Amino acid sequence: MAAGKQVFAIVKKDVLAELRTKEMVIAMLLFVILAMVVFSQAFGVILNDLDRVGGGLLWVAFLFMSMLGLNRSFVHEKDEGCLEGLLMSPIDRPLIFFGKMLGNLLFLSIVELFAVPIFFVLFRLELGASMAGIFLATIFLSNVGIASVGTLLSTISINTKTRDLMLPILFLPVIIPLLIAAVSATGGIMSGEELTEVYRSMRFIAVYDIIFLLVAYALYDYVISE
Amino acid sequence: MPKQMAELLKHEKQSPTGAQTEIEVAGLSKYFGKRKVLTKISFELEKGGFLSLFGPNGAGKTTLVKILSTLVAPSEGTVSVAGLDPYKNSAAIRAKIGLISHSPLLYLDLSAEENLKFYGAMYGVDNLDARIDELLEQVELDHRRYDLVRTFSKGMTQRLAIARALLHRPSVLFLDEPHTGLDPHAVDIFESLLDTIRQDHTFVMITHNIERGLALCSKAMILYNGQIAFYQNKADLDKDMFNEIYRQKVKGEH
Ligand SMILES: Nc1ncnc2c1ncn2[C@@H]1O[C@H](COP(=O)(O)OP(=O)(O)OP(=O)(O)O)[C@@H](O)[C@H]1O
Ligand SMILES: [Mg+2]
Repeated sequence: MAAGKQVFAIVKKDVLAELRTKEMVIAMLLFVILAMVVFSQAFGVILNDLDRVGGGLLWVAFLFMSMLGLNRSFVHEKDEGCLEGLLMSPIDRPLIFFGKMLGNLLFLSIVELFAVPIFFVLFRLELGASMAGIFLATIFLSNVGIASVGTLLSTISINTKTRDLMLPILFLPVIIPLLIAAVSATGGIMSGEELTEVYRSMRFIAVYDIIFLLVAYALYDYVISE
Repeated sequence: MPKQMAELLKHEKQSPTGAQTEIEVAGLSKYFGKRKVLTKISFELEKGGFLSLFGPNGAGKTTLVKILSTLVAPSEGTVSVAGLDPYKNSAAIRAKIGLISHSPLLYLDLSAEENLKFYGAMYGVDNLDARIDELLEQVELDHRRYDLVRTFSKGMTQRLAIARALLHRPSVLFLDEPHTGLDPHAVDIFESLLDTIRQDHTFVMITHNIERGLALCSKAMILYNGQIAFYQNKADLDKDMFNEIYRQKVKGEH
């Protein structure tokens, strides 16, 4: 029970601080909207069939948007000197991971809640309710992976001198398998492919999520202490 | 009962004076890369003791306190706090430790109350609301409890940092230059706060203010170039003598 309270306290304070500044969510939202508008204009002219490339474009936008947010997540803790406060408290280190990861997951999901409808409009996408549900489920599953890997790697990068550079360098190669599966799943939904293919990709994403949650849980104590 | 007590006591470490040892450091060295910051530090501090730690900038004082408070791992040697090894029982030790560090360990975008509520949840403090009321009153920040820490002055931030460090009623307190930024009145508040918890608590305080440090302590230590240049009971010291010793030990640099 104490563990649940500690994790909840971390999420709550991150949400409270974000509500005050809104700097992370607004930066992410502006970026993702801008990227989608540019993509839809640029590709809309040369392609009649946006469905084919839409999935890829969506994830390129989401990926860079996530990095924008994830990079802030621990820089905050470190710059205000609060990381020591967190490390000093009698919390099991992996629980710090879960708290920070859930906060990041929440911020990603909130931004995407605004971004996805805009994406549907810009790319003139019409999905039935059930397909839209599968679409959103794919995005959420991918978010779990992105938030897990991102939280783990941004923890590593704050202890390096080149921390703003470090996250992308570590993050991009690790996230590529998830990205490919996510593109294939959302692209499949948009172009009306067989659902079995889509489910296969989703299963892959779920397995990826579980693996990285476990890896983070096992490594976190080591990673967070300098 | 008495027999049981005797049994218990037998297992507890006794220092030469008969008091129980709370902090024990043996052969402690610390390297950051190739730079040796602490060299073979060994000392003991009894339960209820108050150690004032002096030394020039860069002597390794903060590093020593960080090692004692589980934030930094030693390169060599052993450390024990409250009978526990910081690197094996770190969660158990952390529950007993309070730290005032160079940085206030407060979130700038949270209010005073939200900061204390957050740390209270992390430490599992009982009756948290009452405890927060009590502490905010003691450090005289009651009227600013809903304001963001970002809007606080340096001294106010430091007062809140003091409240934060005491929140979970730690039995060992590490104070790294706790007087930084405090006005004379706040210094009085702070020292009377220390006074109320002086019994049964063990303190290690880093300070550059020799007068204050000597007034509070039961033992004084000078760290110089990562080594203990001086360690003695206060009872055997007077201020002028200590000033002279400090000048002699620390001469040349800074
Ligand atoms: N994380 C670190 N990496 C590399 N060197 C470090 C690190 N932390 C401290 N040092 C070095 O260790 C030495 C001692 O630093 P420390 O902060 O312990 O000094 P101090 O006695 O607290 O000084 P001050 O009075 O200025 O606070 C310094 O030379 C410093 O450069
Ligand atoms: Mg220092």
